[in-house]
Amino acid sequence: MEFFLQLLLNGIVVGSIYSLVGLGFVVIYKSTSVLNFAQGEFLVLGAYICLTLTVQYQVPFFWAFLLTLVFSALMGILTERLILRPMIGEPVISLIMVTLGLSSLLKAIIQGIWGTELRPFPDIFPAEPVRIGPLPVSQGYLISLGSVAVLLVIFTLFFKFTRSGVAMRATAFSQQVSLSMGISVKRIFALAWSIAAVVSAIGGVLLAGIRGGLDGAMAFFGLKVIPVVILGGLDSIAGAIVGGPIMGILENLAGGYLDPLVGGGAKEVAPFVILVLILTIKPYGLFGKIKIERV
Amino acid sequence: MNVRKNLAAILAAAAAAVLPAQATAQQEIKVGGIFDLTGVTSDVGKPFAQGVQDCVAVTNDAGGINGKKIKLLGADYAYKIDQARALYKKLVNDDKVVMIQGWGTGDTEALKDFVGQDKIPYFSGSFAAPLSDPSKFPYNFFVAPTYSEQLRSWLDWVKQDYAKSGGKGKPKVAFMFGDNAYGKAPIAAGKKYGAEIGVDVVDEAVLPPNFQDATSQLLTMKQKGVEYAYINVTTTGVSLVLRDAKKLGLTVKFGSNPYGFSESLVAVAGPLAEGVTGVVPHVPFGTPVPGMAVLEAAHQKYHPTDKHDAMYVRGWATCLVWVEGLRGAEKAGQLNGPGVKAAIEKLADFSTGGLAQSVTYTPTDHRPTMTTSIYQIQGGKLVKIGDYIMPRTKEWFGL
Amino acid sequence: MRCGDFRQTYADDMSLFESPLPRVLLAGFLVFLLVLPQFATTYWLDVLNRICIAIVGAVGLNVVTGYTGLISLGTAAFLAVGGFATAAMAGKAGLPFVIVIPLSGLLTAMVGLVFGIPSLRLKGLYLAVATLAAHYIVEFTVTHWDSMTGGVNGISIPPAHFAGLQLSDDRKMFYLIFPVTVGLLFFTKNLFRTKVGKAFVAIRDQDISAEVMGVNVFRYKLLSFAVSSFIVGVAGSLLAYQARIISPENFPITLAIDYLGMVIIGGLGSILGSIFGAIFITLLPEMLRLATDSMSNYWPGLMVIVAPIKMGVFGLVVILFLIFEPDGMAARWNHIKAYWKLYPFSY
Repeated sequence: MEFFLQLLLNGIVVGSIYSLVGLGFVVIYKSTSVLNFAQGEFLVLGAYICLTLTVQYQVPFFWAFLLTLVFSALMGILTERLILRPMIGEPVISLIMVTLGLSSLLKAIIQGIWGTELRPFPDIFPAEPVRIGPLPVSQGYLISLGSVAVLLVIFTLFFKFTRSGVAMRATAFSQQVSLSMGISVKRIFALAWSIAAVVSAIGGVLLAGIRGGLDGAMAFFGLKVIPVVILGGLDSIAGAIVGGPIMGILENLAGGYLDPLVGGGAKEVAPFVILVLILTIKPYGLFGKIKIERV
Repeated sequence: MNVRKNLAAILAAAAAAVLPAQATAQQEIKVGGIFDLTGVTSDVGKPFAQGVQDCVAVTNDAGGINGKKIKLLGADYAYKIDQARALYKKLVNDDKVVMIQGWGTGDTEALKDFVGQDKIPYFSGSFAAPLSDPSKFPYNFFVAPTYSEQLRSWLDWVKQDYAKSGGKGKPKVAFMFGDNAYGKAPIAAGKKYGAEIGVDVVDEAVLPPNFQDATSQLLTMKQKGVEYAYINVTTTGVSLVLRDAKKLGLTVKFGSNPYGFSESLVAVAGPLAEGVTGVVPHVPFGTPVPGMAVLEAAHQKYHPTDKHDAMYVRGWATCLVWVEGLRGAEKAGQLNGPGVKAAIEKLADFSTGGLAQSVTYTPTDHRPTMTTSIYQIQGGKLVKIGDYIMPRTKEWFGL
Repeated sequence: MRCGDFRQTYADDMSLFESPLPRVLLAGFLVFLLVLPQFATTYWLDVLNRICIAIVGAVGLNVVTGYTGLISLGTAAFLAVGGFATAAMAGKAGLPFVIVIPLSGLLTAMVGLVFGIPSLRLKGLYLAVATLAAHYIVEFTVTHWDSMTGGVNGISIPPAHFAGLQLSDDRKMFYLIFPVTVGLLFFTKNLFRTKVGKAFVAIRDQDISAEVMGVNVFRYKLLSFAVSSFIVGVAGSLLAYQARIISPENFPITLAIDYLGMVIIGGLGSILGSIFGAIFITLLPEMLRLATDSMSNYWPGLMVIVAPIKMGVFGLVVILFLIFEPDGMAARWNHIKAYWKLYPFSY
């Protein structure tokens, strides 16, 4: 029983990191219908900037973190302005492909500046676990769980009550209608990209802190989270937040119960199988907006 | 038109690539290099390549091979196997290299049949035991004990340590490895040897590529009462396992392989790495051995800002061995694949100045050394705790 | 000089060649390609062979993604199925390539059918994730079915042979790969002149309308998956024959993304686009390497520094291409052709 509970709890907290990264995907998809394949590089870039500020320039961690967020916001805007804006009106698949190109470009920039070796990341989380009943949890994951909760509240309030948030929802609903209502769609897109970049930077710093070391390989996380956001529904904030823990639990249960039976490797595959089964019942994810098609 | 301009640029680049190749002098020995500088293993592949490169530069500065300069035609294949193959064909057929310095499991396994056919000595950073059997792979070489010998030696240490710490019965051991050729390479040998010497291998856990958390695997190990575990993945993975083990309060003593255990593990895992043991076939950078001075000088000269560790030493030590092979081949007037192979197979107890164990190759046995050095992290330093010498037996040959 | 639309019948409209001239030019070009290997070095032959294999794979992917509108991330998995099927049939059973290649294709088609089933309910990016699942499931199977696939260590494939003929080097392989490529290109080009191909396009453009017009959407979606994976399976088979050793490491998920890149950069729903895309994506790293190699000749030690530039240029080229020519290289080609056709009176 303790075995099961530990797996369950671990799945939830590890899943919270998936949710955090997933939020970045959803914010972009929701307002621009682009799946951003460069999300992983955004994570890595954010973490590297924070690392450089703290280690090389000796900025206290808190301020370094804030500066990282500011930088990420700027980078999000820049990305939108230079790469995405010229593509407004092009087919969605070209937009997706352009993010793949962006991912290569960012990877090269990251390797050019910081090299490929594994760099130690400052110990931002104590190694001592926190105990929930008899079950230990890493502090890093707890903080990630907390950030997800905070972000959920912020996003909910933002989309419900702020002018920009409502405008973003309107843009997601129909770009043409929003334009005719006087909403600047360009500004909304820039906003979406910078929010996503900020969320990614938070995720990147947390991930690097949990892993203790940082190298370009962390970018795989971008790809890993795609099934999570799809499970939740690509355009749903709540979906991303629920999808993460579900994926985490699936992984952990598969790892705990199936791995010993099949000789390992099920931890990676089994969640995908279940994912497809879930999707055949809910084709737009758990919370995704169901498209009603008219001819 | 843009298209035509691009075409012109490409043509110009291609011409630039072809022309200098034709202008090469006669007094050069061409050696190929297939490295991973940007791919998934670039964290260790790049320092390895730099070690090789610097060793060649230093050799050339010291007069080369009897006045002939070594020309290292190295390139990055980004751990993409089709690119490694293309690069190999270019090096062998177009550039006519006499031998190749390769890199990891990906390229070495994909090319192992070809190097035998083309008679091109191929040095790898992969130490898989089958490569040491010349009856199967006559042109493959590496400079370290095989992965299997490494694990056997570590199991010997486990047995000793268990007895020393007053354990009764058989120590319970787990193997944690990636689901790939590198991860699985020594596992079968380790299980067999464990059964022979009375070490109980109770669990095998697979760590997926790029995993983030190993809790489920470690919980299973905890249930099975594992006391020692060998983590056969690279440094990031080792560090993650150590973190999760700390979280779960496991008292398992961990060990790791040459690509998981180096100075960077200390840097990344910090106090968690304390007490971890590991196989170190190539000494940490800066170890006071006779051969280290020249490395430190080269390091200062070529890239003082880069951080270097045992991976850099590994590239350098491997290069030293084949440079000696080239010397022998040059002396015999046989600067070609078979000539270099023959010269390398004459090396007996060749010393790399303490960078690695002395190596011996014969035409029937490419196991370079049977001595495995085991280190332990003590007070944030890699400290040698012993050399484990395996008998050069027939039944372990190539396994 | 023909400048205008002279087509009067439906058959005319559907013809592959507008006039005899392109036919002659194409024949000439094919002959040129057939003679080319006699002058190419082994390295360039390898590149040429890989381009052909990439073309086959890209055309296969284009059938399902470009023509039927179903995004697939499973290309690497289907290549692996074709490759390992070839390894088993050619290596273990010793069958000749005339049997092995089509059988590998058929086997892959069957696997493709199975993974096409979710397309019954899923669309767009949601379907893409189902194909991503296909990738991981195939990878898991290939890694763990040691007796058949050699497991993680991979498996060797003997040279392709048929009736005493041994295709043991790249030059001989070219004369196998090239005709197969050309044959499949003609097959696919013609496929979209038939009822089946038109049904695919109808599904892509508007699946509900297609249903109303009497196209059995699910059946044709499955058929599209089958045809596509057949072609990709053939590419995998050729790849195995050319590589001679394959292991799961040959088929990473990034390979599937590369193929998607080929199809998009070349042009979705265009055979010519697949050809351009495959050439471009295969040749770009080689060109960049040649360029950086030549630079390292002048400044030794530069290799390590310039290595990331290669990847950066790749990304940059993709971005610039999409910004300035989002419809792909095929569209650009048609612009150029139209420009020269009417030159100098382009209005």
